Amino acid sequence: MAATVVARGNVSGLENKDFEMLAVPLLDGLYNFARWLSGDADEARDLVQETFVKSLKGFSSFRQGTNFRAWMYRILRNTFLTSRTGLERRNTQQEDEEGLAEISISQETPEVALIRRADTELVQAAIADLPPAFREVVLLADLEEMKYQEIAEALDIPIGTVMSRLARARKQLREYIIAAPGQKKIVGAK
Amino acid sequence: MKSCEWRNKIGLYVDGELEPAAEQAFTGHLQSCAECAAAVLEQQELKKAVRVAAKRFAAPPELYASVRKQISPRESARPWLRWSAIAASAVLLAVLSFAWLSRSSAPGATVAQLIDQHVIMLASVYPVDVISSDKHTVKPWFQGKLPFTFNPPELAADSPFKLIGAKLVYVQHSPGVQLVYQVRQHKISAFIFQSRDVRNEPSAGNQTFVVNGWQQGSLQYYIVTDAAREDTDRLRTLLEDANRS
Repeated sequence: MAATVVARGNVSGLENKDFEMLAVPLLDGLYNFARWLSGDADEARDLVQETFVKSLKGFSSFRQGTNFRAWMYRILRNTFLTSRTGLERRNTQQEDEEGLAEISISQETPEVALIRRADTELVQAAIADLPPAFREVVLLADLEEMKYQEIAEALDIPIGTVMSRLARARKQLREYIIAAPGQKKIVGAK
Repeated sequence: MKSCEWRNKIGLYVDGELEPAAEQAFTGHLQSCAECAAAVLEQQELKKAVRVAAKRFAAPPELYASVRKQISPRESARPWLRWSAIAASAVLLAVLSFAWLSRSSAPGATVAQLIDQHVIMLASVYPVDVISSDKHTVKPWFQGKLPFTFNPPELAADSPFKLIGAKLVYVQHSPGVQLVYQVRQHKISAFIFQSRDVRNEPSAGNQTFVVNGWQQGSLQYYIVTDAAREDTDRLRTLLEDANRS
């Protein structure tokens, strides 16, 4: 009998102590993500706490071989989507599945220079300006450096959608940064 | 404008999502296609900018405390069960703990990493990213590379310190500055980070190097050197004065 229990432990999961070791290092990233999602410090804190409670409860159902980080982000995001702010967001979310948007390409390098010298506040404003569905993809790809597959798992969307959202998000970020008033001055001065 | 067949692969390339063969082919293509090369460069800069800017909010310390409290394991009635589960999951842990180890820090980890950075600088053929004795060259070089600003001190002509240059460093996954000074025959590294990112571990060291740390404003400073104590104190005063608001 005991052997059966142990065997199940092997397959299905780890113990609370392991959960702590795996999950606590993700806290900072999860909090940052929650702040960007909700836009509010208190809400972000609640989201993270709830995420930890939920994921600990569900830890026995976490299967080895699946991605723990993506799983945690997924729980956080689902928690957010069922929160009040999240529900409001869902109601106002526009459809964004138009396939891969054209990335406008320029041979000129001033754009590269503009992006390179864009200050942190400007880039943060550009990120904040993104529609939430774009913002979360960019954060997971560029900040958390997740692979497309991981992002697809975390956001529960097809990998093709990850790609199209990412392309459109970056296009929008780029345009925001390049079109910023201070930036134009730099180009004009050239 | 004729559209390049590789054009819709740029994102994949920049994100490292192409198969090795395709990636190699794309790299080859970039040699001959200025359009794609410019677009790749742009996307890479954009990624970099987002990475720096998006790391904006650090979890408050009390959140760590309350989460730990929530999830701390209760004593198991059957400890052998826990041990067998831990043993069985060693493989998974080995994989996941890589990320964990690099994020968490044992006490003294910051100090050890700072000393390592100093030694790397001493041993390197290219000790700094930007070579300059002029603080007005060093500061602008970091613009857009760091989520904070800092002031290298103005050095008088008869100052024993000479600025050699500076370097962008990562310690505990946080970007920071390493200013490299020479004082007589010794090199001194002055590190500056956002204090929320790096643990405050005031002073420590090993047999060779001394680490002296302090916090000022929202920034965390460290000096690492084998130079005399007076030199460290003098440089510290210079840095403190230069960054007083």
